[in-house]
Amino acid sequence: HAALSRRYVLCEVVSEDPRCRQCIEDRALGLAVRDAITRVHGDYGLACCSISFTVKYLNAYTGTVLLRCRKDSYRLLCSALPFVRFLESRGQRYPCFLNTLHVGGTIRTCQKFLIQYNRTQLLRLLQNCTNEEERQCIQKSLLSCSLTEEQSQIRDEEDDDGTE
Amino acid sequence: RRELPDGGARPNAAQFKQLVVTALRELHGEVGAALPVDVLTYEEKTLSAILRVISSGLVKLWSALTLLGFYQNRRCAFRVLQTSPFLLALSGNSRELVVD
Repeated sequence: HAALSRRYVLCEVVSEDPRCRQCIEDRALGLAVRDAITRVHGDYGLACCSISFTVKYLNAYTGTVLLRCRKDSYRLLCSALPFVRFLESRGQRYPCFLNTLHVGGTIRTCQKFLIQYNRTQLLRLLQNCTNEEERQCIQKSLLSCSLTEEQSQIRDEEDDDGTE
Repeated sequence: RRELPDGGARPNAAQFKQLVVTALRELHGEVGAALPVDVLTYEEKTLSAILRVISSGLVKLWSALTLLGFYQNRRCAFRVLQTSPFLLALSGNSRELVVD
């Protein structure tokens, strides 16, 4: 069981350019991350991290990304994430950076963290609201958010070795 | 020691160091290229050198040198003759010692 451990890295894409959200897709992001790993850790690092590397989940509206890699090479991956400087799609480059939010052993722990994080972000947005309409919108979202089994958007995947 | 099959331009010490750093950069990226490697001696005639590296970096350096195949578009190879934590041990190759 423990031989196939993976780590799930949750990050968010932050960009000043609103068009960057359009190219938050798994291929563009995967290429950008692998390119960063190649630059920072070379051929060896790229090969190490590419075993079992995928973009597991994407949310273009919030810019949330969930990456998966082997437990042995998650440090290589995490140290290369700050070197992602732009996302490229259709020949256009949009500057951005990746914020690492959480590293977990299963998708479920990352999901729990993400729900918690989104709640605090909503609260913060509420405080920074400038006009009444936005305030109403956010307040409605806050009051209606609750965790039920049917609403989980991320597919359940158990990690066998039980480390969380 | 470097082996070049043809008699082309031989690198000087600075180019040799550049080659070592390039090899590290290809295999281990910027992190590898930043590994502090010192060229203690270099003989252009025999293309032999003594390199110094921190012991935790030996694996990275050795693997990078092994996998470097080209110098200025010519094929080349690195042969590691001896490694030792002590510089004095490199003055004689203990494998060539003959016991009477």
